[in-house]
Amino acid sequence: MSKLHISSTPHIHQKGSSTRNIMLDVVIAMLPATIAGIVIFGISALWTVLTCVISAVVAEYVFNLCVGKKQTIGDLSAVVTGLLLALNVSTAVPLWQCVVGSVFAIVVVKCLFGGIGKNIVNPAITARVFMLLTFGAVGAVALPTVVEITTGATPLAALNQGAEIAAAEAPSLMDLFLGLHGGAIGETCAAALLLGFVYLVVRKVIKWYVPVSFVATTFLCYFLFCGFDAYFALQHVLAGGLLLGAIFMATDYVTTPNTGSGRVVFCIGAGLLTFAIRQFGMFPEGVSIAILTMNLLTPFICDFTKKKTLGGVR
Amino acid sequence: MKKDISSLHVPHNKHTAACVPQRIEIPAEVILPMNMHSGHDAEPIVKVGDHVKVGQLIAREEGRFSSPVHATISGTVVEIAPMATASGKETLAIRIESDGKMEVCETVKAPEFSDCDSFLQAVRDGGIVGLGGAAFPTWAKFNEATNPDYKVDTVLINAAECEPYITSDHRMMLAHPELIADGIEYLRKYMNQYLGNATYKICIETNKADAIEVLKKTFAGKDYVVIHELKTIYPQGAKQVMLYNATGRVAVAGKRFPSFGALIINVSSLAKMAEYLNTGMPLVERIVTVDGPAVEKPMNLIAPIGTRISELLKLTGLKSQPGKVVVGGPMNGTAICSVDDPIVKVSNAVLVFDEKSAVLPEASACINCGRCIEKCPVGISVADVDRYMHVENPDRKAKLLIKTGVRQCVDCACCSYVCPANRPLLQINWEAKAYLKKYAAAQKEKEGGKQ
Repeated sequence: MSKLHISSTPHIHQKGSSTRNIMLDVVIAMLPATIAGIVIFGISALWTVLTCVISAVVAEYVFNLCVGKKQTIGDLSAVVTGLLLALNVSTAVPLWQCVVGSVFAIVVVKCLFGGIGKNIVNPAITARVFMLLTFGAVGAVALPTVVEITTGATPLAALNQGAEIAAAEAPSLMDLFLGLHGGAIGETCAAALLLGFVYLVVRKVIKWYVPVSFVATTFLCYFLFCGFDAYFALQHVLAGGLLLGAIFMATDYVTTPNTGSGRVVFCIGAGLLTFAIRQFGMFPEGVSIAILTMNLLTPFICDFTKKKTLGGVR
Repeated sequence: MKKDISSLHVPHNKHTAACVPQRIEIPAEVILPMNMHSGHDAEPIVKVGDHVKVGQLIAREEGRFSSPVHATISGTVVEIAPMATASGKETLAIRIESDGKMEVCETVKAPEFSDCDSFLQAVRDGGIVGLGGAAFPTWAKFNEATNPDYKVDTVLINAAECEPYITSDHRMMLAHPELIADGIEYLRKYMNQYLGNATYKICIETNKADAIEVLKKTFAGKDYVVIHELKTIYPQGAKQVMLYNATGRVAVAGKRFPSFGALIINVSSLAKMAEYLNTGMPLVERIVTVDGPAVEKPMNLIAPIGTRISELLKLTGLKSQPGKVVVGGPMNGTAICSVDDPIVKVSNAVLVFDEKSAVLPEASACINCGRCIEKCPVGISVADVDRYMHVENPDRKAKLLIKTGVRQCVDCACCSYVCPANRPLLQINWEAKAYLKKYAAAQKEKEGGKQ
């Protein structure tokens, strides 16, 4: 008789529960936004996406090879990072800058901190901010190729110039919903992003209330502090990277708290910061810096939102 | 409002729920280890060459929480030798070769008892232990309840059988509901002064509808017995979870169970106890569920305790080479190293996994998804335990670990089960608990030195 395996309990494992499957679900959820981006901004969006994904995966592979670590590209987290970064830049960004951004995300933000699960800030977001500050280029506006657009500014820039200009220049809600305006590849088409959101919730990768609390906070801020104008507040929610950030970045497991209440606190904080930065900051866009800041606060949020044990006994 | 406890849907795989237990043929030999209970090993009182009969005392209890062992077949003692058990400990085991007659010993007759003390002594002599898994001697459990500090008002009868595959308690309830009733009557009669007007709650998962039906019929008109139906989710059978779900009370780790005003006993233990008190036949056989991915024909078998597992597998057949053999459930059972090991008093199931399902995927880095925390029935910050175990400063480490609530861990393994990184979270919890125990002991010593 052959030898038997000995192991400690449990002897079974939840079917399909693996890091790779989670990452695969996230990639699938990002596909609608990716495809929408390619449709709206043309084939050059595809080159940006491929460049980011491939350079992220290669960066991780080479890093692991160099430091003699076990290969981890199989968990697909590098694909997620690369794709997320691609959705965050516009087609106006030169491809070499995309490569630099991807390598920065993977090597500096993730691998040097110890690889997957050890990074303290979201790699894609940090790379986006890094590119913004270094190249000033993320904000470079690319215009949709499928429709004729009259204004050169991004909707957020238009919205930030006050209600009158906003009313004249900012796209209509329908255009915002379909993504027919300037911006980063993946952030414009709200419809596609919501599709991804539904997929992630159905697959139980994220909890619905996490992105919703983020978006709702920002919406409420605009509604309360900008003249109780629901239309204007809604325009702000749909314009810029708010949905992309709320659905795919504020739900990143590694860099957000690990309890439901902690995640809501995180998102409310990020929502408030987004509003503050957009309203009072020097950049029209505040989502990435808001999430980045909250990433840094995550350990502290964790500390005071620790789950209570049954009966509070410790 | 009572908070709902977090728990988990684990595939039931109760293939044997409809399998009427079949008695196996008399095995050629049985092996009876001396540590089939939680306390000290029993002490053999027979010699090699002695002839023994079914139900004959062959090892007496020795030391704290020990329990006697009885011959489970008639035949000759051929060997008394040390054997390694799954826990890694060595214990003496008595091997009896069958004479094929299954003669019942003359000493087997219903015990006489008249008050609580003699009742407890009788339960003690019957070698009855907790059949849910812990194998704690049943008399000792009852004895705890006699402590005047405790006011036991609820007796929980654990019929949840929440682990996948296992149906032995289920089949026992269908076959012998009268024994459960007898057991309750014995407790009511002889433990009256301590249990008083306690409510007897039979806690059973809703997936055993037929058993619930039978129990309801059996206990119709008895208002002190409540059939408490539980949602079919793991780990309903963990005693801390059951206490909370049935009474709303919280079990604090480190305190004896009756101090929460409840006594908990496995339904099969209760029935076996009643059987012994009725007939004098001690715990010599039991129902074993044989199932698992590698088993050809899943079955419920009635086997003498000490029967080799390979004998049972001969009846059920195997689809493929066994990769892992587990005694007990897949969430909490013990993997054993040989199919020649015997079944013991607590062996409610034997599960055989094939080579493919025997090895779980390798652990990778924690991605902080929080599923372990979400699914923990007592709300331990499991992912944090994993992280804090690497803290170097011993005082800080202890402080952080206590904050996670890890001492309340009920060993249900939900955390390891759901972990996408397949981290051995349950083992890490055990390590953390062991560390905190050691730390507390060292702290106590330090304080003692100061005075």
